Parts: sequence; C-alpha cells; structure tokens
Amino acid sequence: MVVLTIDGKQLEVPEGTTVLRAAQQAGIHVPTLCDHPELTPYGGCRLCLVEVEGARTLQPSCTLPASSGMVVHTSTDKVRTARKFVLTLLFSERNHFCPFCEVSGEDCDLQQAAYGEDMDHWPLQPNWEPQPVDASHPFILMDQNRCILCRRCVRACAELTGAFTLGFEERGARSALVADYGLPLGESTCLSCGMCVQVCPTGALVDKRSAYLGQKSVLEHNQTICLECSMGCGIDVLSRNDQVVRIEGNWEAPVNDGVLCVNGRYLSLDDNRDRLQSPLVRKDGQLVPASWDEALDAAAAGLKPLIGKNGSGVAAAASTRLTAESLYLFKELFAGKMGSALVTSTEQGAATAAAARLAESLGKPFEAKFDALKNADCIVLVGAELNEQNPVAGLITRRLRATGAKLVIIDQGDNSLSELADSALLVKEGSLSDLIAGLTAAVVKQGLSRLETALDGRKALSAATVKTGISADAFLTTARMIAGASQPVIVFGQNLAEPAVLLDLAAATSAGIVSLKGGANSLAASQLGLDQPFTVNGQQAVYLALGDEDPTESLVKSLAAAPFLVVQASHKSALTEKADVVLPVEAWVERQGSFFSADGRLQQAVSSVSLPEAARDSQAVLVELAARMDIPLDAGGWQEAFNRRISPVTIY
Amino acid sequence: MPKPKISTDWMAGCAGCHMSLLDIDERIIEIAGLADIRATPITDLKEPDEDGVAVGVLEGAVNNSSNEEVAHRMRKRCKVLVALGDCAVFGGVPAMRNLFEIEDALRRAYVETESTDGEGKIPDDPELASMTRVRALHEVVPVDVFVPGCPPDADTIYYVLSELAQGRMPEIKGDKLHWH
Repeated sequence: MVVLTIDGKQLEVPEGTTVLRAAQQAGIHVPTLCDHPELTPYGGCRLCLVEVEGARTLQPSCTLPASSGMVVHTSTDKVRTARKFVLTLLFSERNHFCPFCEVSGEDCDLQQAAYGEDMDHWPLQPNWEPQPVDASHPFILMDQNRCILCRRCVRACAELTGAFTLGFEERGARSALVADYGLPLGESTCLSCGMCVQVCPTGALVDKRSAYLGQKSVLEHNQTICLECSMGCGIDVLSRNDQVVRIEGNWEAPVNDGVLCVNGRYLSLDDNRDRLQSPLVRKDGQLVPASWDEALDAAAAGLKPLIGKNGSGVAAAASTRLTAESLYLFKELFAGKMGSALVTSTEQGAATAAAARLAESLGKPFEAKFDALKNADCIVLVGAELNEQNPVAGLITRRLRATGAKLVIIDQGDNSLSELADSALLVKEGSLSDLIAGLTAAVVKQGLSRLETALDGRKALSAATVKTGISADAFLTTARMIAGASQPVIVFGQNLAEPAVLLDLAAATSAGIVSLKGGANSLAASQLGLDQPFTVNGQQAVYLALGDEDPTESLVKSLAAAPFLVVQASHKSALTEKADVVLPVEAWVERQGSFFSADGRLQQAVSSVSLPEAARDSQAVLVELAARMDIPLDAGGWQEAFNRRISPVTIY
Repeated sequence: MPKPKISTDWMAGCAGCHMSLLDIDERIIEIAGLADIRATPITDLKEPDEDGVAVGVLEGAVNNSSNEEVAHRMRKRCKVLVALGDCAVFGGVPAMRNLFEIEDALRRAYVETESTDGEGKIPDDPELASMTRVRALHEVVPVDVFVPGCPPDADTIYYVLSELAQGRMPEIKGDKLHWH
C-alpha cells in the first residue's frame, strides 16, 4: 500500500494504482477524455493533468502511478489553465460544432469537459479541414470530423474484443482512425460488436439505428440479460415511449463485463417478422382471428380428451428461449398433469443431453465456469463455432490470444477461427472422439500427463493417426501446447457428440471443461429433462411453446402430419400458418423471469417494454390453458425442479 | 443619472436569438425600466447611437463585408460587447459553409437546388456585400461577454441584460452555460 495526499486528503491505495484512480476512489473529480475504466491507461488527451509537488511539470494523472509521500493538487490555477488550453487545442483541430452533432448534450464527454471548465467560447477557431465520414457499415457511422484521437475505440477493439480492426494512420493533426489500413469499415474485418461506439466519448462513432432518438439521460434503462445464446451476457436496454432504442453492454455484468457481440447488440433488434395481432382459431379450414376465450377453449377442447393417453396423446416442445418458470410450468402441465411421454424442447437435447447423461453417470458435475475461459492461457475449442453460436466467447478467445494464450482448434470440416489458431486439427476422416483420444495419447506418450494412467500412449497415438489421418507430429506439438499451459480450458460445442472422451484429456492436462450448450435456457431445459428427440409419431396433438423462436425448417416439416396443432408464439411463421390454434405471447424484450446461463448462473430477465395489447405472457397462457382443462397449475417451488437432476455444472 | 443604453443588431444568424430575447416576456418591461433600449432589429431606430451605448449585443456570425461593418460599428459605439448565441460565439450553423469553397456554396444555393429553374444565376450586383469565410465575432472584434446557446435560454438572456443594465458583468457558467 502507498499513502499519498490529493487535495489535502490523505489516501491509502494499493501499489500500482494510478493517481487518477486514487482520486476517483476518494470522490475527487478529475476530468478525463481518453481514460476509460475498462481500458489500459493511455495518456493521450492530457486533460487529466495534475500538479505534483516537486515535479517540474504537470503530470497526466491517468498514467502516473501513485507513490508514497506524493502530494497532488487537482484544481490549482495552473492546472485549470492547462485544462482549458488542452480543450482549446482539441476544439481547434476538427469540427466540434454542437448544434448539429448527434451526441450534443450529456452524451458528449468533450462538451461536458468544456462546461466543467466554464468555457464560454473557443479561443482558437477550428481549422476547417473537412474530414472523411464513413457510412459503409450497416450499424456504425464513423465521422472523423468529431474525432479527438483519444483511441478509446482502438483500445476497445484490441483489448476487449481482440479484433484489432481499428487503428490510426499518420501523425499529429493528420492522424486518422482507420479500419484494416484504410478499408471502409463496412468492408473491413470489423466483427460488428459495437464496442467502439459504446466507448466513444464524442460523436465520432455513432450508432446508426438510435441516432437522434434521444440522449442517455432521457432514455429508460433496463439492466437485463441477452437471450441470443447461452452465455447470459448482461445488457442495458435503452428505450423511449415503450420502444427499444438501443442495446449496450452492461459494464457491471459478471459474464461479459460490458462486452457484447453483433447478435446481442444489433441482430436481436433486427427483427422484421410480423407480430401476431390476435389469437387465431381454425374454423372450416380457415385460420381466423378469435378472442382469447375462444382460442383457449378451442385449445383445451382439443387437448383435454388426450389427458393420460401416453403414446397417442400430446407431443409438446418448448423453446429454450423461454423463462425457467415457463419451462417448469410447461413440463408440469404436459408431462406431469397430462402424462405425456414426449415433452421436450425445440433444441431436443442436441447440445445438452450427452453432457447431462455423463454428469449423472459420474454422479457429480464435471463442467467448469466461464471464469475458467476468461482466465485461460490455452483454449482448446472442440466442435465449437464461436463466431456464430457464442460470439462473446469468441471475443474473449481473441483477446486472450492477443495476450499470449494459445488457441487449439479441434473440429470436423472447417472452423471460422482456425486462421487464428496456434494449432488447428481438423478431421476429415474418423471422428472428433478419435482425435481427442489421440491428443490424450500424445500427452501421455511424452510423459506430460498430470495423472498416473495405464494408457499405452505410443500405441494409442499410432491408432489415432491411422483413424484420423493427422500426423503424429501434429498430435505431439498440440499436446505439448495444452500440457504446457498452467490454466488450459477445453470449450466444447454442439459438433462434439460425446463429451465423455474429454474427461481423460482434461485429467491429463488439468484442463477445465466448459460447455456452450444451445439457447439462453438450454441448461434449464436439460435439468427439467426436456431433452429428447421430437417426433409426432402417432400422437394426436402437438403443443409448441415457441415464444419468439423462429421455427427450423425441419421442425415445420416434421409437423406436416400433426392432427391438431397448438402454437404459442410471438410472431407469424410457417408454423403459425399450419396451426389449429395460435396463442400470441411475449417477445424477448417483454419477457420477465429466470434464466440459467450455460455455466449455471441463475439470472433474471426483466421486461424493457410492455406487452403488445394482443399478447399475453407465456406463463399466464399455460396456467390459463390448464385451468380450462380443470388442471390447477402454478409456478410455486419451481427452483427445486432444477435440482432433481445432477447438473453437468454446479448451479450458482 | 440617465439609464444605460442598450443596442442590439444581427449578422449571419437566423434571428432565433432575438426571438429568445423576446421570450423573456413581461420581464422586458423590467429591462426597459433599468435601461434605455435603443436601436435593435425590433425597434424603429436602425443604428446604435453615434455618441455611444453602454451595451451592444450582436447575434450571428461574420459572413461578409456587410457583417464586418456591423461588427466594427457596434464595437466602436458600445462599451461592453456581447456575442449572443452560437453563431456569434463559435460561427455556428453558417460556419458549416467553411467546409466548402465559397463558389461551390453559391452554386449549390443559386443554381443547383431542386427548386431552382433553368435560369438560376449567382447574384453579381456590385452593390452586394462580398462574402468571406464565416467567423465568430471575436475573430473580427474583441468581445467582452460570450453567451453561447442555440439559442441561449430566455432566462440566461434576461440575466445577462439585467446584470449589464445594473453595471455588473454577468458570469456564464453552470446552468447558464450550454452550447446547443
């Protein structure tokens, strides 16, 4: 610990703390522009200059480590004059006219800094050199005229997401923000995660969708979770007049620490499907609008005679994007009260069933938490397509790789991250299991196993090279990479059919195993046993609780022969067209309830906008439907249901 | 003692700052009680008194030789010069023109706009003022009080006028300071 004095206050801070952070912790305001709490200090804007007794010149507090006995003054005349001068130069460089800027107001750190110094004019006029504006990106507008060269975006692009798309060219006043050495942003390697926009202190990087729709201070903020995949990233949904304006990463969220991906920030709002405007009932072959009473009665009339008729009763599937409470009610109603044998999820256990069985056979969880991934120094991706399925895990992988972590990719066919990999083992023949067994053998053969084993490494390795067509050298090098790491982690996705084969490799290398699973509540569905393959096969009725999930083509096809189909959904789809009864429900931004992330973290989704008039909440629909079949149903005690089955991961 | 004289004028602006001045509503009577409101675009007198005024207020940026004359005349005849609004303080919206060549701006305005018929022609009467780069007032003459805002709030304008009418220098900060 070091003891220093700032503005007469004596402070004790851990060694390595910067003067700026020490001041902030003590509640002393020092204006900054290039500084961001989630980014490495850069010292670029010089606005945070402070006077340090004994120092020849003013010092940038953001990069100055606090040391014992230091005496700092943050608002002397000398400091304030320097700040005003720094701002004067910043305003003179480019076009910072506020009246026609998107962020003018509290959203602009530059304007706020000027107000903080009581600047009522610019002593130096701008130089009137027009700068390029790049509107080529679908979601982001890049306006160099507003740029103050603070490089927050460049640091975010590198440090938070590992994309390294943004950089600077030239020097001094000619400095220009560029993507990939000068490509238009829309044609660059940009991953569209939008972190650059989230950290930009001025109007240089603007979110196209929400431009001019309101400053942060007038928008409603709802801290909730993203439902695009199983990570459970924390998001801040910004809305106005009951309309979602924009989504930002929540810096306080435990899973993503503020980082978001293109799916969570942009694509989740890019929904052009039509909402259902009322309940629908099929009458004389035609699907026609109906009242809730009519629709629920029609559904109950079709389903009630099937109570207890296992095999020729009702087949039911629910989306893994629904809340844990909804999934629990769904299971209770169809499996519990109606006695149907085929109650599952639309995911049909593809991403969870094998892992759940493995945990049950082991009698204990075997999966590690996402923290194992965030702290790994070697990441082994097994059958996982992160760019599509779990982009935030992909961003974490990219940024770890940039700090020296090794990346090993094991997959069938190709993997979109393989060009970044230190080693990519892509099987053409044989299976992923053969490949993983080969890696374990290569670890053992080189005497690197952390566990005693009876395995004959040499023999097993040569068997694996024959089966997979991958050279022994490739196995041996890759094995050394994993075994040489102090915190390796194996991340597996849906391309791996049987995770059991990972246990030996993990034991031999002390690696954590992280499963990515499927939808937002994939783990919850698995814990409820909603993980069997779905087939109509002789059942008299099908009930689908789709929520806002878009039905897959194969699901639509498999329902061609459904005698009586009830669909509970938010949007029109090929399935609602086939249905006999359609019950309109909430979409994700209106959804409220519990979600288990893939690593077992129980989190709450809160609704950010109200339900449309025609829609009802999925839970309420299930309860009401049950009541019309004289079945009492309530979500009380739902939590217990998730602990009946041994989970592959310890639930938080 | 005679009441201090106040005079105002406008240059390259939109008159919005003077509208905001009128937005002080009945408080204008209070100002008229404290000061002698002389030449303004909204009174009958057209030029500030030759023997001088205590306070001169200018709206708008300096955009051509005519604006320059207005600026210099006001500076010469007033004791305290106020730059009122973003255009006078920074250059404001008219200054967007500085990002283009003047010829391009004129051609766009008089020849190429969608509403121009085939006869579109850039005015070239020698009597017309000649255009210059758009400048903030303080680039042309020294300014004593800066009141930014597009437009400044009526409350701020009332504060500025009533302070100056009572011989005090207003301080534009905190709630009174905004640039948009």
